[in-house]
Amino acid sequence: MVNYKFVHDKERCIRCGGCFAACKQQNGVPEDISRINIVTIDEGKSGERHITMTCMHCNDPPCVRACPVKGISKREDGIVINDKDKCIGCEYCSWACPFGAPKYPDTGPAELRGIMDKCTFCVIPYEQTDEYGTSILRAPNPKCAGFCATKARLGGDASEITATYNERVAGRLVERQIGV
Amino acid sequence: MATKTNSIFGGSDIKLSRRTFTKLTALGTAAALSGINSVSAYPEGLELFEEVTAAPAAATNKVKSICSFCSVGCGYTGVVEDGVWTKMEPWEDHPINLGGMCSKGTALANVTNSPRRLRYPMEKVGGTWRKISWDAALDKVANKLNEIRDTDGPDSVFFCGLVHGSNEEAYMFRKFAMLFGTNNIDHQARICHSTTVAGLLNTFGHGAMTNTVIAMQHAKCHFFFGSNAAEAHPVFMQKVFVAKERGAKIVVADPRFTRTAAMADKFVRFRPGSDIAFLYGLINVILENGWEDTEYVENRTYGFEYVKEAVKDYTPEVVERITWVPADDIREVASIIALNKPSNIIWSMGATQHSVGSQIIRASAILQCILGNQGEWGGGCVPIRGHCNVQGVTDMCVLSHFLPGYYGVTSEGSWDWYAKCFSDTPSTSGKITFDELKARFDTLNGESMMTKIGFAVSRWYEGVLKPEAEIDQPHNIKAVVLWGEATSSVTEMKREKEAMEKVDLVVIVDPFPTSASAMPDRSDGIILLPAATRQENSGSVTTTGREWQWRDTIIPPLYESKTDMWIFQELAKKLGFGDHFDYNSIEDVTREINLAVRPIGCQGQTPERMKRQKENYHTFDPWDGRAKGGPCDGEYWGLPWPCWTTDHPGTPILYNDKAPVMEGGHDFRAKWKYPDDEPNAGEEIVRGNLPPTGDGSGTIHWTYNYAKDPTGEVNEQALAEGNPPTGRGRAMLRVANTKWVDRVPKHREPIESPEPDLVATYPTYEDKKFYRVMTEFKTEQQRSIAENRHVNYPIVLTSGRQVEHHGGSAQTRNSDYLVQLQPEMYVEINPKVANDIGVKHWDFVWVKSARGQCKVRAYVTERVNEKTAFMPYHWAGVFEGQDYKDRYPTDGVELARGDSVNIIASPGYDEQTQMQETKVALCKIEKA
Ligand code: SF4
Ligand code: SF4
Ligand code: SF4
Repeated sequence: MVNYKFVHDKERCIRCGGCFAACKQQNGVPEDISRINIVTIDEGKSGERHITMTCMHCNDPPCVRACPVKGISKREDGIVINDKDKCIGCEYCSWACPFGAPKYPDTGPAELRGIMDKCTFCVIPYEQTDEYGTSILRAPNPKCAGFCATKARLGGDASEITATYNERVAGRLVERQIGV
Repeated sequence: MATKTNSIFGGSDIKLSRRTFTKLTALGTAAALSGINSVSAYPEGLELFEEVTAAPAAATNKVKSICSFCSVGCGYTGVVEDGVWTKMEPWEDHPINLGGMCSKGTALANVTNSPRRLRYPMEKVGGTWRKISWDAALDKVANKLNEIRDTDGPDSVFFCGLVHGSNEEAYMFRKFAMLFGTNNIDHQARICHSTTVAGLLNTFGHGAMTNTVIAMQHAKCHFFFGSNAAEAHPVFMQKVFVAKERGAKIVVADPRFTRTAAMADKFVRFRPGSDIAFLYGLINVILENGWEDTEYVENRTYGFEYVKEAVKDYTPEVVERITWVPADDIREVASIIALNKPSNIIWSMGATQHSVGSQIIRASAILQCILGNQGEWGGGCVPIRGHCNVQGVTDMCVLSHFLPGYYGVTSEGSWDWYAKCFSDTPSTSGKITFDELKARFDTLNGESMMTKIGFAVSRWYEGVLKPEAEIDQPHNIKAVVLWGEATSSVTEMKREKEAMEKVDLVVIVDPFPTSASAMPDRSDGIILLPAATRQENSGSVTTTGREWQWRDTIIPPLYESKTDMWIFQELAKKLGFGDHFDYNSIEDVTREINLAVRPIGCQGQTPERMKRQKENYHTFDPWDGRAKGGPCDGEYWGLPWPCWTTDHPGTPILYNDKAPVMEGGHDFRAKWKYPDDEPNAGEEIVRGNLPPTGDGSGTIHWTYNYAKDPTGEVNEQALAEGNPPTGRGRAMLRVANTKWVDRVPKHREPIESPEPDLVATYPTYEDKKFYRVMTEFKTEQQRSIAENRHVNYPIVLTSGRQVEHHGGSAQTRNSDYLVQLQPEMYVEINPKVANDIGVKHWDFVWVKSARGQCKVRAYVTERVNEKTAFMPYHWAGVFEGQDYKDRYPTDGVELARGDSVNIIASPGYDEQTQMQETKVALCKIEKA
């Protein structure tokens, strides 16, 4: 059974924006919002670090509970998706989300303005249907992680990405704690 | 490796009917609301839905290619649907980037598809832009160039640019100028790494990065000295982090607390322009503590005593006074780099763009030799080149002082060799003799201009503006051809603007109209030729680590744009030397390069081998870049030059004498003219079993005549004898060429110095005429002091890169993704400076220097200290506060425009190469 998650390695992220541009392109997200935001802590000071913020595809997603029209759901593979046909743009989900993942655009196609958009693990793009009215559903293939310049952002099955992260952190531990 | 995670996924879009989709999500929602974790009806595998696909399947084509921004050389896959480039996918097992790319790379499709592209040739007539046909445009350009050639001579045209072009296009550009009959051709390497080339070439024998990016994983210490790789070369940091996780230390010395500095174990902030003093402080401490590699120094270098003598006065305390760095910090940095080996030194423009740039590089190279790092995996000199193919274009010598492969223009022998190559190559039908080639050139005072170094891109405008008698060529420059060249990257922009207004014709060849079309205040005489982007044609490109990769066409040129090759061919026809350009394919040009470019070993990188590597990329081990088994068994990724024969694996680490040459081993060059003051240097310069044979003059050690070896026999012989064709020499810690003023580096204050009393002790050079123009060193430095600039302009201004933009940024400032990330020009100032002048974050300010002023946003940050300000250099389209948006062709107004730091930058130049001193100027900041 897969369970899709992200890991963000703050010891590698350099705020290059690769994830941002990759997501924009893959999902056609309009100008004023982004499914992935890079936040810098302590800019210009010692300890400066960059964190990428997206939907974290929570196991018990508060947004799903908050949505009054049941427009958000969690799939069996762990991915939290939203249905823009149902969304009424009330922004309750943003009250509930601990990360500020849901966004409400002012630009882009008129019928989608104010309608919630967020990271779908690249499964559903910004416009969830194509020009024939057919819904688009893609294989989970997070472009932000695939394109991450430094491999700071890992996305995929939780057991796999945590294993990758384990390997990396083990190296750091050997160096810092054990001093080998 | 991290990438495995993502490789499990397929990438195809699955479409399903609206009804099915709704049913699925509803179930999922219900499950989640009921508090049960997830019982969605979503089944394993997505194939199930394919049967309900309603839309016709698009004809999808996937092409692997190479990023055309920086020189890391990241690979990616372009997805083309029904002929439209819709998406990109990571090239997950690409040995260099493992799929990773920065924002510029991931915006490549966005840039290519930009609606602001130049769609057809245009001409400015009577103040308005008009569409013209290709035929008319080329006729106009060719007629004017021919007319100038006839009346003023070929030197009255200046060609520049092409840094993003392939090796083949660069070679064609240089050949084009050779046949036109001028050395007035230059490109951006002049203002990015010309000092690296001069410094390293005169120390080691080659002017390039001595490692590959992949090799960075092997280092035990990365010393960033003049590089902000996290912004300038993001994917380079992937390798740095791998090393860090294996215990490597990261040290960053920079005037600014950069994003790279934020990831360092140790950061020191030093004064812009005090680089040599800083490096000498380190060497002083290293020698004081006996941390040098005595055996290495003994066996592999020449001139150590001179260095010892030179550094002895640079004690940490003296260095503290010059650099503003506490003496203990200097000691600490020295200990980290000396005790964690192999360590390297990594630089970019921070080290190169100085009036002592070549000497800063020399000092860096000396440091590496003294520590014995030079030639080690992960150690050595790491000048990260800027543009995607600036290494290749440098190698193909779109430069006013070299011919392709670093054959000096001042030697007739170089021209003789090229006359032969142009005639003998099976790739073209043209024939030309040495005398015919020479006759293409003008003469001055009875001497042929063929063997005279041309103008540098940093000073070309002086060829227009200075009185004819003051420049070393027959007549002023009357036309300029900007072939993918950003005018905003050159300092003294006001003079450049004036020159662009004065010439008869400005030709701009570019995928975008660029800010150059808007800068000159003129109503006629600008022709814009729409060039294809690098994603719309193919050819080989060389990474910063000398690796040749084949860049493939993702889509054919959009609109009416044409490839550079086509434009060269058409223009050459009209100028009367088309028979030297009648190549059938770009691969034909590669083959001509394989034939001609010998000193740096370009014999092994045939189109066939490059393409074979591209097919078999997965067989290369990302740890050392070497193929283990498969069709490329034993080859290094990209066949890094020198690659002496088609059986040679490439040379990943220059000067590595531990590996056999046929396994990628190498050594320092043996060909040095003995210093006049040491005519019997002998064994001190050449080592190993190469007997000094001389060439008649009795002073040159050079056993193998590899540079003029049309059959390749010489290379074969050298390799059979176990030697690199360039011989086995020593690293020249003291420059052999007695024409260098400083044969061992010494600190000299920048042209505009904030410290007049240091100028008294460490003055700059005497004024000097070179590259056809008088250049003021001492005069300008003294003028600065006389005008009290250190008082009137109390802040040191430095410049650099933003990750989202690139070079002059004609491409990136036209990409909506990148502009969303980085929309406006700014100056970074310290909170204290901001508060003192009453400015809040993002207010407008004027940044003023003795040259002019810029109106930009204030970015209030502690990245810079109170004495320093920083501005990115990518911006143009606004000139001293005036927005030029009305001057562009209507459809081509750049999406984001900003004032250019190079309007106010220093008029300092490097004493060897005419590199501009963009990293140190004096300024003041006022509320706007
Ligand atoms: S691509 Fe990676 S390194 Fe770059 S900003 Fe995103 S998470 Fe950070
Ligand atoms: S997984 Fe896809 S949708 Fe989510 S942030 Fe990354 S790129 Fe955007
Ligand atoms: S600009 Fe450089 S680091 Fe960024 S994707 Fe392109 S090659 Fe890679």
